[in-house]
Amino acid sequence: MSSDGNRSDAGGWCCPPMDLMRSEPMQLVQVIIPVESSRVAVSYLGDLGLLQFKDLNKDKTPFQRTYANQIKRCGEMARRLRFFKDQMAKAGISSSTLPDVVETPSDFDDLEVKLGELEAELTEINANNEKLQITYNELLEYILVLRKAGEFFFTAQNSAVTHQKIEEHRTADGSIETPLLAQDMLNDSKQINLGFVSGLVPKGKSIAFERILFRATRGNMFLKQSSIEDLVTNPVSGEKVAKNVFVVFYSGERAKAKILKICEVFGANLYPFTEDLEKQKKMSEEISGKIKELKITIDLGLARRDKLLKNISYQFEQWNNLARKEKAVYHTLNMFSYDVTKKCLVAEGWSPIFASAQIKNVLLKAKVDSNSQIGSIFQVLTTKESPPTYFQTNKFTTAFQDIVDAYGVAKYQEANPGVYTIITFPFLFAVMFGDWGHGICLLIATLYFVLKENKLSTQKLGDITEMIFGGRYVILMMALSSIYTGFIYNEFFSVPFEIFGKSAYACADVSCSDATTQGLVKVRPTYPFGVDPEWHGSRTELPFLNSLKMKLSILLGVAQMNLGIMMSYFNGSFFKNSLNIWYQFVPQMIFLNSLFGYLSLLIIMKWCTGSKADLYHIMIYMFLSPTDDLDENQLFNGQKSLQLVLLSLALISVPWMLFPKPLLLKKQHEERHQGQAYAMLQTTDSNTIQIEQDQTFNDHEEFEFSEIFVHQLIHTIEFVLGAVSNTASYLRLWALSLAHSELSSVFYEKVLILAWGYNNYAILAIGFIVFLCATIGVLLVMETLSAFLHALRLHWVEFQNKFYEGDGYKFAPFSFVSIPNEED
Amino acid sequence: MAFWVTTLIFVLCGVIASLILRLFCNKGPSTNLLHFTLAMTATVCCWMMWAIVYLAQLNPLIVPILSEE
Repeated sequence: MSSDGNRSDAGGWCCPPMDLMRSEPMQLVQVIIPVESSRVAVSYLGDLGLLQFKDLNKDKTPFQRTYANQIKRCGEMARRLRFFKDQMAKAGISSSTLPDVVETPSDFDDLEVKLGELEAELTEINANNEKLQITYNELLEYILVLRKAGEFFFTAQNSAVTHQKIEEHRTADGSIETPLLAQDMLNDSKQINLGFVSGLVPKGKSIAFERILFRATRGNMFLKQSSIEDLVTNPVSGEKVAKNVFVVFYSGERAKAKILKICEVFGANLYPFTEDLEKQKKMSEEISGKIKELKITIDLGLARRDKLLKNISYQFEQWNNLARKEKAVYHTLNMFSYDVTKKCLVAEGWSPIFASAQIKNVLLKAKVDSNSQIGSIFQVLTTKESPPTYFQTNKFTTAFQDIVDAYGVAKYQEANPGVYTIITFPFLFAVMFGDWGHGICLLIATLYFVLKENKLSTQKLGDITEMIFGGRYVILMMALSSIYTGFIYNEFFSVPFEIFGKSAYACADVSCSDATTQGLVKVRPTYPFGVDPEWHGSRTELPFLNSLKMKLSILLGVAQMNLGIMMSYFNGSFFKNSLNIWYQFVPQMIFLNSLFGYLSLLIIMKWCTGSKADLYHIMIYMFLSPTDDLDENQLFNGQKSLQLVLLSLALISVPWMLFPKPLLLKKQHEERHQGQAYAMLQTTDSNTIQIEQDQTFNDHEEFEFSEIFVHQLIHTIEFVLGAVSNTASYLRLWALSLAHSELSSVFYEKVLILAWGYNNYAILAIGFIVFLCATIGVLLVMETLSAFLHALRLHWVEFQNKFYEGDGYKFAPFSFVSIPNEED
Repeated sequence: MAFWVTTLIFVLCGVIASLILRLFCNKGPSTNLLHFTLAMTATVCCWMMWAIVYLAQLNPLIVPILSEE
């Protein structure tokens, strides 16, 4: 199996080439790029997306690689871009693209400088804004303090004045002592040193605040608090908190110190306050003025920041893409090996053969665009490594190929089951889902996705919606097939119709007296398309349909398995592996068809002749007592001898599959090994022997006969037992189809018809809604998933284990389209 | 008789589908072969399903016995 995969000599004697059937032929290429044009070249190759680079520096750590520094710079740029994105999100500006934009610096270094400048500017503006905001909030608090404290001093003074007046009145009547006392009181108060502080304290802490102040000053303080109705913005933290204005009166320096400390602990902000009414008014006016000025300044600051962010937002997407591309380019450049003497980079990678011309063009363009004197060199290498598998799929076939790849990526150039899966997968789904009413619902749902695919492909969808959108063509095919099988099973939400002509059955006589005992008779030719509508609702419906669907499953299963074995023939003839053809394909075909192909034939003959033969009996006794007479189980002449022949063929084919292949492989290996052994004996130089030995170990895998034999034994047992088990496995087509039709029938009869019987609009409406919910939830969602899963299993196991190896790896070219967004 | 007529109709549908694909989506020999294969597979699948259901009802061993209602 050579890896240059030249199509003309490999697939010659089997079949003409077919799209998607086998991987594109791939080649290992080596590209030598001069350093000055390397970045441009890789960038253009990324746009092209047809080259998968091999990592030539696998043993180096990320820091030892050539371009580690550049990647750090890219990381820094990405960080700055993320910062801008956060800022834009906070300010509520989304990135938009405007056509008339300032020229973006397409150069990496220019972009880096520009991003650095913008970041510095933005951080500066933000810091300034924050400072201004803090000051603004403090001033707002100060105004509140002035207002509230002013109120209590005013009321306190008023009450003091009235008290004084009352006192004066009393003393005016009075005695000798009182005026002196009054004088003394005034004098004394001047010597007491009463001071006060005023400020704001959070409302939640106000009670604790009062208590601690009381305890600390041993009760020698007077606290007056008044709450503020609105929430106040805390200057430091910026949150809105409920606060109280307080004024604390104290006497003495030590009390003052304690009170200040307590205020600090409680986070109460203190503001100076004067008793003098005139000064208070002046302070108020001053502060109001300052507040107005600050507000204007802050607004200007915010406007400037928004303008800056808006400018950034126009170019954000472009810069983001540029940064990501550069990072990807440098990661790729790190994979090349750097030749210091010749100042060039050597790259190795896989690419499809048809892309050679395109790659050469791209390299030429890179040379021109980077003004380099030397061009790049492109050469093909030969290797024994297995190339990656590449299928060129379009939007329709991608989903089906993904289904196949989920099980295992095809080995390089083996037959791709995806080709047939495109048709057989929706078909087997439909066999299990057959109802044209449900099929139409599914079709309408999926047409929405298909018709709106242009719009939906650019949007970001949720996880489940993303999956459904990705599989929209699969579901479309499933829906169309379901409509077809729905017509065949004659079920429209479990109701049959007589669309294709009159039913074949009618009453035996005019009065229909024994319709419920003996049943109807077949008076007209067979119903031309699908199941006769008379069956639905009859007592013998289930025995008839069960027999029909079980035989249908067996026939479809045998057909698909035969297709699978045929695919192994295609593989054998493509890779010119005649051993596989004669000692695997042929005995497998004989074994499967002499047993289950014969069963299929019996089924069809029984239907065509209307015989009452018991097929179970025939098959079982074919093994147990093959020489017995068949009597009433005879379907055709010569059946007994045919059965004997088929049985012996099946018995011969088992050792045919088991023994010849390992023995012949051993013989082939010995022939090759003989030649090598002679070559080794002739060389005497120890060094050369060492090299030869290494080569032989690389060229020939170690041939262990026992291992090969056991492998073949397992393969044979798997096939022989699998023939029975896989055929029975296809009966799930019957099982799910039965479940679907029974559920559908129950919902129709026991919900809708029952609700109809009450002749009440309300009950009918409720019944209809229950029917709708049950149909959508159980039949359209659950049954779809269930049938999808089982059809998938039938493909992955029963179909693919006949021929598929699936141990390849997928072609993952370096392409800018496939780079995931870092934020996702 | 009706069986063979309908089988012929299926064959004709398959041929017409292939022709339509060839006329409207002619994209080179390997792609045409893929389209042809898909059309043939679809035709065979549909025909098999119809034929099996038809043959099963040709000489029935049981007949519908209506339920009492």
